[in-house]
Amino acid sequence: MPVVTLRDWIPVALSADLPAATVIPAHTPSGILALWRSANGELATLADRCPHRGMRLSYGFVRGEALSCIYHGWSYGQNGQCRRIPAHPDLTPPAAIKAASYPTEERNGVIWIALGEPKAPPPALEGFKPLRSITLEVDAKLISATGDVRTRLAGVDVLLLIVGISGSETVAHLMVDAAATESDCVTVSRAAEGWRRECEQLGVKELAS
Amino acid sequence: MTIGHHAMIDQWYPVALASQLPPEGRTTQLMGTAIRVLPGDPVRVVTGDGRDLRVTLRYGHVWTSLGEPSKDLFDIPEADQPGRRLVEVGVVRVRCSPLRAVENFLDIAHFPFVHTDILGAEPHTEVGKYDVEIREKEDEVWATKVQFYQPQAAKSATGGITTDYMYRVPAPTSTVLYKTCPARPGEWDVITLFVQPLTEELCDVWPWMALFDDETALTDLIHFQQMIFLQDRSILENQIPRLLPLDPGREIPTRADLTSVAYRRWLKRHQFTYGAQLVAQ
Repeated sequence: MPVVTLRDWIPVALSADLPAATVIPAHTPSGILALWRSANGELATLADRCPHRGMRLSYGFVRGEALSCIYHGWSYGQNGQCRRIPAHPDLTPPAAIKAASYPTEERNGVIWIALGEPKAPPPALEGFKPLRSITLEVDAKLISATGDVRTRLAGVDVLLLIVGISGSETVAHLMVDAAATESDCVTVSRAAEGWRRECEQLGVKELAS
Repeated sequence: MTIGHHAMIDQWYPVALASQLPPEGRTTQLMGTAIRVLPGDPVRVVTGDGRDLRVTLRYGHVWTSLGEPSKDLFDIPEADQPGRRLVEVGVVRVRCSPLRAVENFLDIAHFPFVHTDILGAEPHTEVGKYDVEIREKEDEVWATKVQFYQPQAAKSATGGITTDYMYRVPAPTSTVLYKTCPARPGEWDVITLFVQPLTEELCDVWPWMALFDDETALTDLIHFQQMIFLQDRSILENQIPRLLPLDPGREIPTRADLTSVAYRRWLKRHQFTYGAQLVAQ
């Protein structure tokens, strides 16, 4: 079974699930990060904690090119630097007010985050296209030792990008054969539900094709 | 248990609405200790191991303490002022530190973002200078000359007004807000937040009000206050860490946060650390 990537990059979402001017919680094995796309389409990932009062930034809102905290509206740029404090509109926020930021890349419809500084870009996953993300109530280690599962669902080649987000919860980003038709995709999506249930019920399912 | 926890054990806490005690009593907890609030004359509060705790009835609530309070429950003189409606709002359970619940109540800068179009609205986000002090004689935190623009400051308000506020913290988990009274200029409406610490990261919040408002239906007053607090809850349950950091550096205050800064300093001075995070811990 080919190993697509061993995890300088963590797949966190499909591009289609993050429209412009939106923020979502990105689940990684190290916890939740705030993943957002600006009005112009630029991606960024920040620590999920406003430096002001500790509120989760993934509950915030995106306006223009900034992510704002829902608590007091403090807004942050792509590099995590605080740009504006609404309680003091005339104040230039000190440089010390900054949320940690993480490298974020989008490739072939998948959004990847790096917790370190990877030398290579995330994998292209040629021959596949993104279909959907699935959350499973099961330990990722029971599904895959490598982080990826390549198999067939409903007779179609699929690639599952597996991310353990806790000891009992896993996210799988499902990629299908790039040549799959729309009706294939519907069938695969249904089959993936069955796969999820089997993983959850059995704990582990042998998926090697 | 640390010394700090002992300091808070000798405080009074609300544990029930006196008017709504069921015949079998209210089973609850206080700072991790199981207690039962039993109706009757007098009302009793007993621990799981049968110990009778001290009890006082005030501001509609049953108050108790696991320790030996050296002072009576703090006074709210307005509670006895004729003409006020005393509103028992009920209880809201929040998965947060009791100290975070109080600190949020002391904050006005979140109004436009959390209570949008009710207690605040963009672009009216600026927090002007106000006065904060720890009153040594009363041993209370006070913020005065606080002003903020509000689209609908109270149930009885029909349009936007600049509202004046005073905030007061007379006990580590109780706080009193005085705000412009739309129905009676020159008087202050009193809105309180009495917080029952169930554990360090879980609390029951009992808002209570003493208002000059003869017009608004009681259920509307209660719903208004509950709506406001439920909006706050969505914040309070998502702050990291759950405990309130008392050491500088973990969170970054600005001038708008001076009440919070004074509250944290006062907590630390008294070792009121139940629900607080200290680096030393």
